[in-house]
Amino acid sequence: MNTIVKVSVFICVCLWPIYGAVDYTKFSHSTPKHKSACNTCHKVPTKDWTRTSVFPDIIDYPDHDACVSCHRAQFFRGARPPICSVCHLKTSPRDEARYAFRNPASKLQFTIDFPHDRHQDVIALRQINPWRSKLLAHASPPQNFNNCTICHAQAAAVSTPPAGGWLDSYAPPAATFKAVPADHSSCFNCHWKSQEPVASNCNGCHKLATPDAAATIPTRISLKFMHDGGGEKKQHVAECTTCHINITKSATSRGLKPDVPITSCTECHNKEGLRQDLNTELAALDKNKTFTCVYCHTSNIGKLDAPASHYLIAQRPPLKRRDIK
Amino acid sequence: MSRNGFAQKLLSGRQSLCVCVSVVMFSQALLNHRGTENQDATARPSGVVRLRARVKLTDSAPLRGLARKRFFLIHGSLEQNRALVEAIERQPLVTRDCYYTKNGASPALIEWLKEADCESVYCRDVEQDSIAGSKAVPEFAMAFAASEKEFGNATTARKWLTTNLPPNLRDGFYRDRKGVIDALLKQAQASSGAPVQSVMTDRNGTAFFTDLAPGTYVITNLVPTELGQTLATWNCELQIKADDLASEKPYLISNRKDRLVKCVAVEKPAPPCQ
Repeated sequence: MNTIVKVSVFICVCLWPIYGAVDYTKFSHSTPKHKSACNTCHKVPTKDWTRTSVFPDIIDYPDHDACVSCHRAQFFRGARPPICSVCHLKTSPRDEARYAFRNPASKLQFTIDFPHDRHQDVIALRQINPWRSKLLAHASPPQNFNNCTICHAQAAAVSTPPAGGWLDSYAPPAATFKAVPADHSSCFNCHWKSQEPVASNCNGCHKLATPDAAATIPTRISLKFMHDGGGEKKQHVAECTTCHINITKSATSRGLKPDVPITSCTECHNKEGLRQDLNTELAALDKNKTFTCVYCHTSNIGKLDAPASHYLIAQRPPLKRRDIK
Repeated sequence: MSRNGFAQKLLSGRQSLCVCVSVVMFSQALLNHRGTENQDATARPSGVVRLRARVKLTDSAPLRGLARKRFFLIHGSLEQNRALVEAIERQPLVTRDCYYTKNGASPALIEWLKEADCESVYCRDVEQDSIAGSKAVPEFAMAFAASEKEFGNATTARKWLTTNLPPNLRDGFYRDRKGVIDALLKQAQASSGAPVQSVMTDRNGTAFFTDLAPGTYVITNLVPTELGQTLATWNCELQIKADDLASEKPYLISNRKDRLVKCVAVEKPAPPCQ
């Protein structure tokens, strides 16, 4: 009997941190009672949105009512109730200051479900891109149609270095990455009120997921590729879908990969009479099997075996480093 | 047993449990990792089709890439998909201009759409000169006025103008087409018993079908493409052989015959708007 009691106490002690104590400094949308309709707490748009935004948006935390209706006890617990720190910088009745909404330091609790295919269909042209069929086919006229750049413009700033610094001390310039929408302006301009999912239908785009830290930089195989690069003449002018070949069939952003085939690069970078960047590196690898490919890659990728696709483009049989003499 | 002794035992019990949990989690991670490796090792080779669509609007016009058009790849031969192909060929199609005319669009809006060859108002930005002035589009002017009242500033009112357009003029043409395509896709998936791949051409008229297993496929645009005064439909058979898996298989389609063209469109005059 004594043993049973001890085991029970032991199990309770072990499980207490998991199931017993509630940490009210952390808010989770996954908590069953937090899974009500979004507008139970979030008002669309936030009251007084005009003070800080040029468009109607959800720009602040819900009002106190949203919490107090269930958490009255926690709200008035002690001089500094832990629950206040979910939104407030200081837990003091005299200080209203809140974290930025959403708090960039907190983990993402939702993924965004965005069907690229449908949006590309909606902005489609009827037939031939008109400026290409005009006499001035070689001129570069102003773009008078929408494409991926309405959401993915060039990143405005240089990326923040990852923890531990940049690999090989290579800091990608701002021209490397395209930006992604950081607020609702790219969505609400069409989906505000009558085009589903509308602004009040948060769940139409935001799907509850396992909390995850927001990535500081996109995962890249070829970190040295610059979207807005291509030398002094800025020759990386292809349309996004010319290289990102699977985007136009993507019905969701879940598991979305950039999927750029090597041929997108080698059409210019391994062309007779133009450039021989791939051939040059494969030749260096032939001479030294510990050679690290650096033209496109940082060393984490460059020191691996070159994929079969690279050899096929160079019209050579694939080789593993261990087989190079 | 003293309290200290019990606490010590409890602590060592918790440590054992932690070790136990860690071992289980590590084993699980190891198993998962091996699973991934195995998956990679047994991953089947797949083929890629590089689709190029090049068309002529008239006999004297140059060949141009057919930009921003969606194409579909359906499992099975033309014979196996005969009912579907017949359904594609049978379907009535309302042309863009006809749709907007029938839905009461002003001549100015139809002209605005034609100017950049847009299918919908989402195709390009609505500039200020389309809201006021000699080139103003009445629908845009009305939507802008409503938006300005709603959002309180001209910039947002212009950028969010489409939120105050009537649905039939906003995205009705797209929704009509989508309804037709969805019904045909449902039929295609039922008849072929496999998911249908779809891609949209880039501005040069190129697109890629990827992850293709060897077999026979039908390449189609499901709904006719408007080419000037004609409607073009592509329904062709495409073979992916084991030899094709190592590299991209080029596949050129057009509305004109040529030795390199693998699939020629069936063109019909655009029906009169009734």
